Amino acid sequence: MTGTTGSPTGSVTTRDLTKSFGGVRAIDGASVAFHEGEINALIGPNGSGKTTFFNCVTGMIRPDSGTVTYQGRDVTGLPPHRIARSGIGRSFQLCRIFPRLTVLENMLVAVQPHGLLQRLRGSRNPADVGRARELLARVGIDHLEHAEARDISYGQQKLLELAGVLMGDPRTIMLDEPAGGVNPALVDRIADLVRELNAEGRTFIIVEHNMELVMGLSDHVVVFDRGRPIAQGAPAVVQDDPLVLEAYLGV
Amino acid sequence: MPNGSSNVRTSRPTAVRAARTVALLALVALIVLFPSLAPDPFILSVGVVILSYAVLATSWNLVGGFTGYISLGHAAYSGLGGYATALLILRTGMDPWLALIAGGLIVAVIAVPVGIASLRVRGASFVIASIALVLIVQLVFQSWHTFTGGSNGLRVPRPFGTEVLRPEQHERFFYLHAVLLALALLTWWLIERSRLGAGLKAIREDEDKAQALGVPTFAYKLTALVVSAFFTALGGGLYALWFGYLDPIFQFSILIGSYMVLMSLLGGVRSLFGPLLGAVVVGYAVEVFKSQYGDTQLHLVATGVLLGLVVLFMPDGVIPALTSALNRRRGAASIREVSAEELANQREETAR
Amino acid sequence: MTGALFAQSLVLGILLGGLYALLAAGLTLYFGVMRVVMIAHSAFLILAAYLAWYFHERSGLDPLLSLVITVPLFFVVGYGMQRFLVSRLRPISLTTMSVLLTFAVALTIEGLLGFVWTGTQRRVQLEYSGASIEVAGVSIAVVKLIAFALAAVSLGALYLILRKTSFGRALRATTQHPEAARLIGIDTDRVAGLGFGLGLATAAVGGTALALDYTIYPSLHWHWIGPLMAIIVVGGLGSIPGAAMAAMLLGVAASLLQVPLGTTWAQTVFYLALFLTLMIRPQGFFGGRLAQRF
Repeated sequence: MTGTTGSPTGSVTTRDLTKSFGGVRAIDGASVAFHEGEINALIGPNGSGKTTFFNCVTGMIRPDSGTVTYQGRDVTGLPPHRIARSGIGRSFQLCRIFPRLTVLENMLVAVQPHGLLQRLRGSRNPADVGRARELLARVGIDHLEHAEARDISYGQQKLLELAGVLMGDPRTIMLDEPAGGVNPALVDRIADLVRELNAEGRTFIIVEHNMELVMGLSDHVVVFDRGRPIAQGAPAVVQDDPLVLEAYLGV
Repeated sequence: MPNGSSNVRTSRPTAVRAARTVALLALVALIVLFPSLAPDPFILSVGVVILSYAVLATSWNLVGGFTGYISLGHAAYSGLGGYATALLILRTGMDPWLALIAGGLIVAVIAVPVGIASLRVRGASFVIASIALVLIVQLVFQSWHTFTGGSNGLRVPRPFGTEVLRPEQHERFFYLHAVLLALALLTWWLIERSRLGAGLKAIREDEDKAQALGVPTFAYKLTALVVSAFFTALGGGLYALWFGYLDPIFQFSILIGSYMVLMSLLGGVRSLFGPLLGAVVVGYAVEVFKSQYGDTQLHLVATGVLLGLVVLFMPDGVIPALTSALNRRRGAASIREVSAEELANQREETAR
Repeated sequence: MTGALFAQSLVLGILLGGLYALLAAGLTLYFGVMRVVMIAHSAFLILAAYLAWYFHERSGLDPLLSLVITVPLFFVVGYGMQRFLVSRLRPISLTTMSVLLTFAVALTIEGLLGFVWTGTQRRVQLEYSGASIEVAGVSIAVVKLIAFALAAVSLGALYLILRKTSFGRALRATTQHPEAARLIGIDTDRVAGLGFGLGLATAAVGGTALALDYTIYPSLHWHWIGPLMAIIVVGGLGSIPGAAMAAMLLGVAASLLQVPLGTTWAQTVFYLALFLTLMIRPQGFFGGRLAQRF
């Protein structure tokens, strides 16, 4: 898939996004623009609202106020499946797969049929299965296709989750800590995959704590603190921002 | 499994498939021959009751097994199916078989608002609403004398003439129930293989994740509930035509709903024939209990204790407990065989 | 409806609402500490009523005295039920499976009641059973007043326990955020067990109150669990004040509707409220932040 690069700010954009839990403002008037066709990173100290922000953008949580637009379309408050179908795929912080389905079945869930007849069509048709196998081969777990997902290792589950997201053919992929809890070799493999997929025209928005990975991988970095962005820009620029240092080190 | 060697992966599926075909043929043969094997009409009537339970449990499993949403009030749909069939025949003079199908459709429509109310929020509200539904329908059908016959019950006209004698009646209804059971099983099987089914099973495993992958979870759950209600209603309607009498206390009994749950859980909600197996075991036990101990409340205790034990110790049911034990050994073997290296790598990994 | 009749129904509704409020508070406790919908709550209610009746039959003493036995007994049973049954369920399907488990317990209790004391309807006969007092043209049965007083005192005690004691604080912390509660050193398992015990104790009190005023039979609990579940959903699962308000509101509504519609149809108001709440505002009308998270 090739895909046009489009305008540099046409991907996920939020304006004054706010979400409170009880009295705590998890997201506090966040206005952020992610760049289409680039690898965007979203970083910030623990509890700065990154995951809540992810959940608001992908419809898992309804924001209290503010808007989310994707490629110029207002997607605020849409249910998650509608947002997924508009072209945003996501992974979860602690890898989530369907434990008692096989690896292949996990993949087939992500097929997005339209219309009643398409939905009633056999799930294991050659086209879908072929594409699923291709993607499994691409992430390197095609030999596990018949294993139940709960039986494979955590690293393999992470790859399965990524492959599942790709099955929906999203233009934008949001990854919540893709390198969390996996070994260094696998981190490299995931980073390579992200670069390849980005080269094919997919936009990435990645929440990650591994700074080495973030700085090496991303084109554009957004730094969150206390529910709002405090700095945005190229990795090198953000790295030296005094506000960012303050947020991380508390100086 | 005798030998976990390298040809396991290729040989196992064919062996399983052959075993399955044989088992299926045996099941069909047993059902076809049962009426001629049954020594007396009473045993045959027990057979009809058990098949009726099997229809209800399999229908229940269309929502319970696929989505993991447990309904304790499915007796509402079977009871409404029975009443709808009877009332259509009595009030409009409709052909009984047409009335049966129309009744099923009416109940399917009724299930829509129930589903809209109870499927939007996850977890407890569905099961609460399902219990409330059966209680409310029981209230209404007991009180609305002019329309439903109230507590006095309702006599359902027989679809076959008086020249058809009792044993003959039982036999015909036995086969009719068998056909309905086959249809319900076929529907389950078709959904299981479809993209809809893939989405439904994903909902059962992790609803948030399914939705994040683009599965329209609410619409899928509602579809499953409506299809399930339709078949449950047909089951209730067919039973009403056979039994010939409806009583709100019995039709809308919470106990009938809990039988459906118990049968499906015991047999295994994730497998096609689980509810059928559960229905044979529980249905037989219920009938024996009734004939042995009659009117005492002990069958409540037995149902309660058995349900509690299944929930505590075997929530996946008998069939999945067995097959997953097999699969795990098979799955583990195939992973080890293909990726000994991977396993070594896994050991280094931190999480789980 | 005449003014006197209206006043009479209103008072009866409030008196009934008090009992509902106490029982709904118990259900809310279970849901709060464990996310468990306790279907057997009303079966224990009827069990307590039977015990009160049996106590009166055998000893001839006032059934209210049976509280001395049933309240501690139920507290222990509730604690044990949480520790030995509910806590064995897998956390991932806890809410649904706990419904099935407690449902199974309810069936067992109903069956045992019928087995031990038969399905015959029972009623406690006391000297003051028929007595009533008249206030401003409204006549109130003494037994209903006692039942209400019992419920009100117990609710008050429950409030004090939850607000003023360290156990209450631990319980509220467990309800709001179990992980955080564990982090600050609260033994949440024990708290959940005690919360269950407390919840079941409300069923003991409610059952005794019930025995004074109602004819009881084994399957009566189904007539209580429906309205109670409606109340906790309308109130917003997990909120005791919400449940109490919903209990009062629905109790009064049912009582007022009884005059034009009759007892059976008036009962449907609970179910209508339940379905309307789920349609319009699934998180409940009175507080209840927990509902979204179950």
